[in-house]
Amino acid sequence: MPLPMISRRLLVEGAGAALVASMLPIAARAAGAAIRVGMIPDAGATQVSVDEKRPLREYLASKTGYDVNLVIPTNYNATVEALGNGSLDFAYLGGLTYVQAHARYGVIPLVQRSSDRRFHSLFITQSDSAVRTLADLRGKNFAFGDTNSTSGHLMPYYYMQKSGIDPERDVKYRFTGNHPATAKAVEAGIVDAGAIDESVFHAMVDGKQIDGSKVRVFYTTPPFVDYVWVARKDLDAQQRQALAQAFLALKDPRDKTLLDILRGKEFVRADDAEYDTLRGVARKLSML
Amino acid sequence: MHTLTIAWHTLLAFFPPDLSPSYLRYVWLPVAQTIGMASAGMVVALSLGIPLAIYVGTRAPGWQGIVGLLSALRAIPDLTLAILAVVIVGLGPAAGMAALAVFYTAMVGKVFAELFLAAPQAPLESLRATGAPRLAVALFGLIPLTLADLLTFGSYSFECAMRASVIVGAVGGGGIGTELVGAVNGLDYPRATTLIIILALLVASVDTLGWLIRKNPRIALVLFPVGVATMLLNPPQVFVVRHAFVTFAGMLPPLLNPKALAALPALLWETLEIAVGGTALALLLALPLALGAARNVVHTAITAAVRRVLDVARAVPEIVWALIFVVMAGIGPLAGALALGIHSAGVLGKLFAEAFENVDTAPVRALEATGAGRLPVVAFGIFPLAIGPIAVHTMFRLEWNVRAATVVGMIGAGGIGEALFNAQQHMHYQEMMAYIAATWLLVILADVVGERVRRRLGWNYVTT
Repeated sequence: MPLPMISRRLLVEGAGAALVASMLPIAARAAGAAIRVGMIPDAGATQVSVDEKRPLREYLASKTGYDVNLVIPTNYNATVEALGNGSLDFAYLGGLTYVQAHARYGVIPLVQRSSDRRFHSLFITQSDSAVRTLADLRGKNFAFGDTNSTSGHLMPYYYMQKSGIDPERDVKYRFTGNHPATAKAVEAGIVDAGAIDESVFHAMVDGKQIDGSKVRVFYTTPPFVDYVWVARKDLDAQQRQALAQAFLALKDPRDKTLLDILRGKEFVRADDAEYDTLRGVARKLSML
Repeated sequence: MHTLTIAWHTLLAFFPPDLSPSYLRYVWLPVAQTIGMASAGMVVALSLGIPLAIYVGTRAPGWQGIVGLLSALRAIPDLTLAILAVVIVGLGPAAGMAALAVFYTAMVGKVFAELFLAAPQAPLESLRATGAPRLAVALFGLIPLTLADLLTFGSYSFECAMRASVIVGAVGGGGIGTELVGAVNGLDYPRATTLIIILALLVASVDTLGWLIRKNPRIALVLFPVGVATMLLNPPQVFVVRHAFVTFAGMLPPLLNPKALAALPALLWETLEIAVGGTALALLLALPLALGAARNVVHTAITAAVRRVLDVARAVPEIVWALIFVVMAGIGPLAGALALGIHSAGVLGKLFAEAFENVDTAPVRALEATGAGRLPVVAFGIFPLAIGPIAVHTMFRLEWNVRAATVVGMIGAGGIGEALFNAQQHMHYQEMMAYIAATWLLVILADVVGERVRRRLGWNYVTT
């Protein structure tokens, strides 16, 4: 009797399943009813920072009708991979992480703050420093945020290059890992200057997390498109719509608490075509 | 001077720790995850490692191949495995457990196999002569013959797994490690201190548990329900197994562009510098501390205090020291060397103190009988007698630190680890695999050279 045909794919998957099952005695299983929402750790990732965002989680749950798990992975890459391997359904990504995730896993852009359409990076230094222009950065210690950050690395790096400063040769730079750390490093004088997300910088000065009289902005980049909320490729359209609507319905000042957590004023629909310029820059700097 | 002032102020920012009830309520889950991950990792390691070791120990067909495989696996640093596991298995404790399971299966398998191979052959031969099958030889010969060593090493590896569960957490593997990296990145230093204290307490409890297990091996069975429950509660987050394989296949073959290839020797050199610098610092710190901790050198009131200092240095893993030093001393190899130096000083200090206490008493008493003072007795008696074990321990530590130097690099301490982490962050996975391969070769090379040197100098010592 001829054996039934077993497709190669089935064999590979079967062997794969057996391997995973032997490595971890639990077979992979589908997620339950909750939707899982991830946020890049642009301001650190702890149980506490998740809890500070509890009003957001509760709002999303009530608007969408699903339970919501809010997760802040420890790094940008983990957030992208989680959208690829299905451990997250939605995520809040930076511009660069978005174009990476779109290229690798076809994630779908949903909504963004109106300010994300015209976002800026700020170059900051100590108030009493001699640094006044990008050219003054020559020979200085400089801080970028996370290596995968759009406003903390990619765009500032690009505009330094454009103004004739080669970050690889002309400055000594390091990555602080996130925006608040950059602000603190500049305030404390650990570095001579740094590049930071404008919304984080203003929120920190307003919230007195850094002393606004000690730090000065000396250069603002031209506008670029940045943060966006996305869904993983194969998520069902109804869930996608539900989450997008929840953000689009936010109104200032009625939803001020939530908008403050999100550091924005209003949400608009996002469009992949807006990211073409950013994609070009990322390719040029071989970060895509 | 300016830098020192900043470092001092940064240090002050870590105090006082946040011990508020609300925060302690938050951290119980990560703490439970860490305990669970370490237990689950050990459960898998023991379930797979012991049969493998028995297979090797009874010299069954192809046993050399298994030894080779286990040695090769063991040379991949745990953090590297965790990075792979997070990409492949998804975020959270499942990834951490997978990494620990692989690393400790290799470690338990290899060391147990070596213990079995070194067991006295005569009793085993007589067992075999009765016609006993392999399994019976293992159960009634190998295991009873080596039980004491198995238990010592088993509890030691559980202690290591507890520390390692923090390391794998640092890249998204869940538990205290994830929380700690998040707290440091979020500039939340008082809470980082709380987590470090909890970690030190955990390692100390594991130490006590290990001591209890050596007295009554059945206590080790508590690991099983804890480990299995954690596995059940934290299934892998991936629900498309195929994705894992596609992702992994996309990482092959390892590839470096010409520019990165040209920079590789410098990166490897920097990693070696971190390892050597860290070990040298550890040696400098450990010698005086060990004298202060040796009960045959100074009064026990002093040794008790010095031993607590060594315990803290040792309980905090290299990567956590590195997180602190990166904040204080800035990103770069200095932070890495300091981190390895402090942790290794804790380890070496304890081992050196034991070496001082274990010296042959006869020559020391002879020296004392001449009426020599305390200092000459230590300088010309105890110290020279302990120099052999001190050299062996330092040598082992250097080998270990080559591996650890790649790990601390991944959180910003420079060298090849940093390049590896950046490649992973930018999703240049073929480049990442090339760095993993280079790291792996470096670690194997360090192990082989270390073993050769020890053999040439005739330092035969029980290895762990």
